[in-house]
Amino acid sequence: MGMTAANGTSVSIQDLSLHFGSVSVLQTLNLDVAEGEFIVLLGPSGCGKSTLLNCIAGLLDISDGRIFIKGKNVTWEEPKDRGIGMVFQSYALYPQMTVEKNLSFGLRVAGVPKDEIAKRIARAAEILQIEPLLQRKPAALSGGQRQRVAIGRALVRDVDVFLFDEPLSNLDAKLRAELRVEIKLLHRNLQNTMIYVTHDQIEAMTLADRIAVMKGGVIQQLDAPQTIYNRPVNRFVAGFLGSPAMNFLEGELSAGASPVFKTDGVAVPLERYAFDGTERPTGACVLGIRPEHIAFGDAAKSMPFSASGSVEIVEPMGSDTLVWTKLGGRNLSFRVEAERTLQSGDPVQFGFDPARASLFDAATGNRL
Amino acid sequence: MADPAVTLPAGAGAVGREALGPSGPKPRHVFSRRNIFLYGTLFVMAVYYLLPLYVMVVTSLKGMPEIRLGNIFAPPLEITFEPWVKAWATACTGLNCDGLSRGFWNSVRITVPSVLLSIAIASVNGYALANWRFKGADTFFVILIVGAFIPYQVMIYPIVIILREIGLYGSLSGLVIVHSIFGMPILTLLFRNYFASMPEELFRAARVDGAGFWGIFLRIMAPMSLPIFVVAIILQVTGIWNDFLFGVVYTRPDTYPMTVQLNNIVNSVQGVKEYNVNMAATILTGLVPLIVYFISGKLFVRGIAAGAVKG
Repeated sequence: MGMTAANGTSVSIQDLSLHFGSVSVLQTLNLDVAEGEFIVLLGPSGCGKSTLLNCIAGLLDISDGRIFIKGKNVTWEEPKDRGIGMVFQSYALYPQMTVEKNLSFGLRVAGVPKDEIAKRIARAAEILQIEPLLQRKPAALSGGQRQRVAIGRALVRDVDVFLFDEPLSNLDAKLRAELRVEIKLLHRNLQNTMIYVTHDQIEAMTLADRIAVMKGGVIQQLDAPQTIYNRPVNRFVAGFLGSPAMNFLEGELSAGASPVFKTDGVAVPLERYAFDGTERPTGACVLGIRPEHIAFGDAAKSMPFSASGSVEIVEPMGSDTLVWTKLGGRNLSFRVEAERTLQSGDPVQFGFDPARASLFDAATGNRL
Repeated sequence: MADPAVTLPAGAGAVGREALGPSGPKPRHVFSRRNIFLYGTLFVMAVYYLLPLYVMVVTSLKGMPEIRLGNIFAPPLEITFEPWVKAWATACTGLNCDGLSRGFWNSVRITVPSVLLSIAIASVNGYALANWRFKGADTFFVILIVGAFIPYQVMIYPIVIILREIGLYGSLSGLVIVHSIFGMPILTLLFRNYFASMPEELFRAARVDGAGFWGIFLRIMAPMSLPIFVVAIILQVTGIWNDFLFGVVYTRPDTYPMTVQLNNIVNSVQGVKEYNVNMAATILTGLVPLIVYFISGKLFVRGIAAGAVKG
């Protein structure tokens, strides 16, 4: 799956459950993270992704299951003995200590010799380019600098696994994009295992070797970003990833040698659609198609499915423009180049290749 | 006034700007109705509270013949510090005739260890309750809070018996223990709320860094909590210094705190009522809490606000 350094398992979570009283937060969860892999836990708030990270860190006592890090069972170990470093959303820097003391705190607690501490701080400061900040207090740093120091605190501890708990959520959009690239570079240079929690799909898509999409304490899909994007296993995953969001059309799947998706006067031929199983399902289903997979104008005519309609509204986004129209009485959006100047009411021709669409069972939401 | 036109013709200058109507900061009048009412009320209240203090200071600086004239608001014609010296060094209470000085040092020897002991224990209590959700923590906390609402009088006699049994009745250490225990509920609540308001991620980061129970408390939490420690010190110093009930019950005449001694001087039934000495003694006794408030008033308010928000 695009993994080059997959030479062994770094973190292994086996049948992990966690409940607070009668509320079940994580349910018999299994996850294997390869050595040097960058895994992103992605999901809406309350899906249990941060909770899972805290369980891996040892900050939460689990109800059932086991956690292995580097082949060692750490289920009952203290956080400091797990070989992990953690970066928090609010940075969690010790406000009364200088940057240098913040970085060295863990090492001083562990009784590391002074010259070794100095060496490690110098290395981390160089990697993160925070040398001029070492004697400052956290209050005198900007958000981006604080987050760099927080990463540095994990870096100096020389750990096997880095845990990131929404590290960029408190930053503004520009800084977020900058630090995202820096984290990716950091991973390329260090080759450490990294587990990264976020609700931001862009971060997930850009950073991850594999993404675990979570909902209700259960991993919905664990795959490479492109696979998750192009072949989501259920309607939740399909709708959660992608911005602007995937279009969904409810309709019927007709049986026969050549399956056809039908809804209000629209028939989409599905010969080119790769069904998940060998059986050909029938009945109520949902067709999902991403706005960027819909062709427009002349290009639409060569598509296996095409239709025409009129523009409802236009949303210019700078790099491209989102056009809203109707198909079978339902709203449908697609992307056109920014140069196209379309107005409300203009007639449009659009079409798509069903091979790039996704079909979901209307009742279960699972991919067909 | 000027032209009521709203649009500003080019080059109209200052007159044109005037015509646009209000602009810039709103003018404030020093003698507005609001200011007169506000500062008037403040002045009246200040006089109301300061007048007794004024009478005390003035009376303490007068000689007895002048006091007998009865002009209590009049400033002293002849300033004398004799009453102050007498109150501090020679006023008699019972058999002892060394003034309030004995009580002062007793109070110091009661207050300092009580404050240190109660704050040391309560801060650790609050930290454990806020950050280490140990089993039974909630029950423990409820019991502690209920303890704060039980009237002291109920516990006075049982404590007398307990102190007698462990041989500390009548000693200063006995009173120190009593003060420490009775300060516990409110101080623990104060510290718990303060620590609970600190970001939890800080605590987690320290755990990942390998710090234990004491490491986190001493190296992370305590250095960050200076304001609440100051509040606790103020609460305890003033509370324990002003205490009369425990002082009179759990000590002997030799070890009476200043407040009890003050009472004995002021309420002595024999001889002439020396108002000037009484006033001087009262001011002397109130001086410690007064100084504490003056020095730390700002911090006190800030700390109370920080500690009391969350329940």
